[in-house]
Amino acid sequence: MKWVPETAAYDEAFEKPASPRPHYRGLVTTLESFTLDEIDRRERLQKISLVDQGITFTVYGEKDGIERIFPFDFVPRIIPAREWERIEAGLIQRVTALNLFIADVYHDQKCLKDKILPPELVLSRKEYKRELLRLMPPRQIYTHVVGTDLIRNDKGEYLILEDNCRTPSGVSYVLENRNLLHRVFPEFFTRYPVRPIRDYPRQLLDTLLWAAPRATETPVAVVLTPGIHNSAYFEHSFLAREMGVFLVEGRDLIVEDSHVYMRTTGGRQRVDVIYRRVDEEFIDPLAFRHDSLLGVPGLVNVYRAGNVAIVNAPGAGVADDKAVYAYMPEIIRYYLGQEPLLGQVPTYVGLRKDDFTFMRENLAKLVVKTTGDSGGYNMLMGPFASRKEIDAYAAQMRKAPGNYIAQPLIELSSHPTWVDGKFEPRRIDLRPFILYGETIRVLPGGLTRVALRPGSYVVNSSQGGGSKDTWVLAPRSG
Amino acid sequence: MLSRVADALYWMGRYLERSENITRLLLVTEDFSAETQGLAEPLAQTAWKDLLAIFPTAQVGPSASAFAPMSQAYLVGFFLDPGNPYSVHYSLRRARDNARSVREALTVEVFLALTETFRTLESHARRGLADPPSLRDALGGTHKGLFTVAGAIAQTFTRDEGWLFFKLGESLERIYRTALVLRAKLPALVAAEPRGDVALYYTQWRTLLRGLGSLENYRRIYGARLEADLVVPFLLFDPHSPRSLRYGTEAVKDYLERIAGGAETMPAARLVGRLHADLLYQDDRLTAAGADAAFLDRVVDTVALAHDALTAQYFAT
Repeated sequence: MKWVPETAAYDEAFEKPASPRPHYRGLVTTLESFTLDEIDRRERLQKISLVDQGITFTVYGEKDGIERIFPFDFVPRIIPAREWERIEAGLIQRVTALNLFIADVYHDQKCLKDKILPPELVLSRKEYKRELLRLMPPRQIYTHVVGTDLIRNDKGEYLILEDNCRTPSGVSYVLENRNLLHRVFPEFFTRYPVRPIRDYPRQLLDTLLWAAPRATETPVAVVLTPGIHNSAYFEHSFLAREMGVFLVEGRDLIVEDSHVYMRTTGGRQRVDVIYRRVDEEFIDPLAFRHDSLLGVPGLVNVYRAGNVAIVNAPGAGVADDKAVYAYMPEIIRYYLGQEPLLGQVPTYVGLRKDDFTFMRENLAKLVVKTTGDSGGYNMLMGPFASRKEIDAYAAQMRKAPGNYIAQPLIELSSHPTWVDGKFEPRRIDLRPFILYGETIRVLPGGLTRVALRPGSYVVNSSQGGGSKDTWVLAPRSG
Repeated sequence: MLSRVADALYWMGRYLERSENITRLLLVTEDFSAETQGLAEPLAQTAWKDLLAIFPTAQVGPSASAFAPMSQAYLVGFFLDPGNPYSVHYSLRRARDNARSVREALTVEVFLALTETFRTLESHARRGLADPPSLRDALGGTHKGLFTVAGAIAQTFTRDEGWLFFKLGESLERIYRTALVLRAKLPALVAAEPRGDVALYYTQWRTLLRGLGSLENYRRIYGARLEADLVVPFLLFDPHSPRSLRYGTEAVKDYLERIAGGAETMPAARLVGRLHADLLYQDDRLTAAGADAAFLDRVVDTVALAHDALTAQYFAT
């Protein structure tokens, strides 16, 4: 079996060529015991099973074949128990602070008065919803489901790259990847105490029901999807099925007498909790975007009246802005009086004059992102861009400096990945999922995304990325 | 259940049933035309053209082949053309779109079987099959695939309200199409006399029974005898054959009643109930000679009205 060594970045699996890290030794031994033909055969099985089950996502802007499978690489990523403990504690700390920050922004705005971050950075964003001022969501929770992206730098340190407080997606792939690996390579699991993840849908349902505003024994929760054409539709449907709740579209819901109802064949049925996988801009054409056909007219008023919980709460998007990110270490210190347990990537904010000057002069060394976009759309990878691309981007930046942030290029860690009959290093990241209900819980592992093009840093599914199963090992007993 | 989901399951049932109907009729018509085109070319042509009456608004493009030109154009048009609203390709895609939009209401087995059948069909369409033997072969494969889907549904689908809406769509589509086939084929068949080529005359009756998936069920009762006065009442009134009008109407009535769950009789159920009563008491006027267009028109109209009524009641809430 051929293992191509990593030359530039931190290698997750090998200390040096031919010398696996202790927690990868068992896996490498197992993989070495397979013949090339056998691996090929198993890989084919796995591909067929993905297409047949419709585990697909939609790529925007592609005319035909809008359904694509999200490529799966069978070499699992392994995180030792000790390492995970630190990540978990860091994530709980971060989500706690994020939630306090959002509550503050919509109430007393102490952090702005105390100059923890510039007020315009928060108040001028479209994610900041003036309509929601002084409105406390049920249980004071804004961020019920958070997906936080982590990367590892060349020293192997975990750094937070991004928080997703609106409608983070990918958890269905986490669960399906595990199922798939169980089926295709059951041998892998014999040497490892891998922590189970199957319980996630139940935990998610608990989280949703915890937010129910009505004192009833049987609150009704639903998943609200934009519909079949959304890139994450498979996941919406998957979660609804796994939780045993209705998957609804905007047109299935109706507001009457300050309550939300579903249209059913037996008439209308009241809804208590909406797990919305629709952008908040679109949830209510009366409150936000008037041209939205996906939303439910009047929904925000019902929410204001305290008759429905919306998960994540409208307005939560104000916290996962890429510019707010730059201030997160301060925010954690301010609300919790603690040092951040997890580091993050140094970030230049276009809004700060000095930062912007630095950005302009160093574009060729920086990764520049716009604060509104996600999914790797509209970003500049300075070190790989041509002079022409950089100039064009700079011109675009000058029009609205406040919309840009920049970060040095981090050498993402790499992981052996099966490519054309050998194991080649490919860059990866990690998106753990955090649920904020009665307590804050982190799903062990998360979605490991892998950049399948050699040398590429972009792991997004929409940009040619794939994914891996992610193992968190249980602490050794005794 | 959600009105939208009930609606999608109902249409999934209709489109799956329609896919199977088209596939079966194509296979049977191809057989018939291969057998008769040398003997009586006009009969073969009529058999193909009847498809345009059975599937109104269907479109078939010109033939690209010099051999068996008619078969080729109709087979391609009704099997693989994604633009023909009555092609198997179109119907199966709609069935799958409906299934995808309510994925959470289906089992993995159903979704898997449906996706696999559709993907195989798509790959035929991409390869652009042109000669009748390959088309036949592919049609046979699709037919099998559709039965796998039906099997997965029968074996795994939970018998809840969603199931009832699915079955309602399936059985409603079935009687609708049976009535249209009879309306297209019976007048000419009944008018013809078994003189001249007797074998050809019987071939047509046999083809009608096969086209409605009923030949073997018919033989169980009447053996090899093929007489208009036996075949027509069988297709109309037989209580056990799943494609007789009586059986289908009874199924529709039953599903409607179960969906209403003991509530007062709804418009759709009333319409279908009246039709069912006529079929139950085998009106003598409706036997072979009199299996008149008027009665079949009434069946078609009743089904259309029942569809409108149930749409208004359950889907447009």
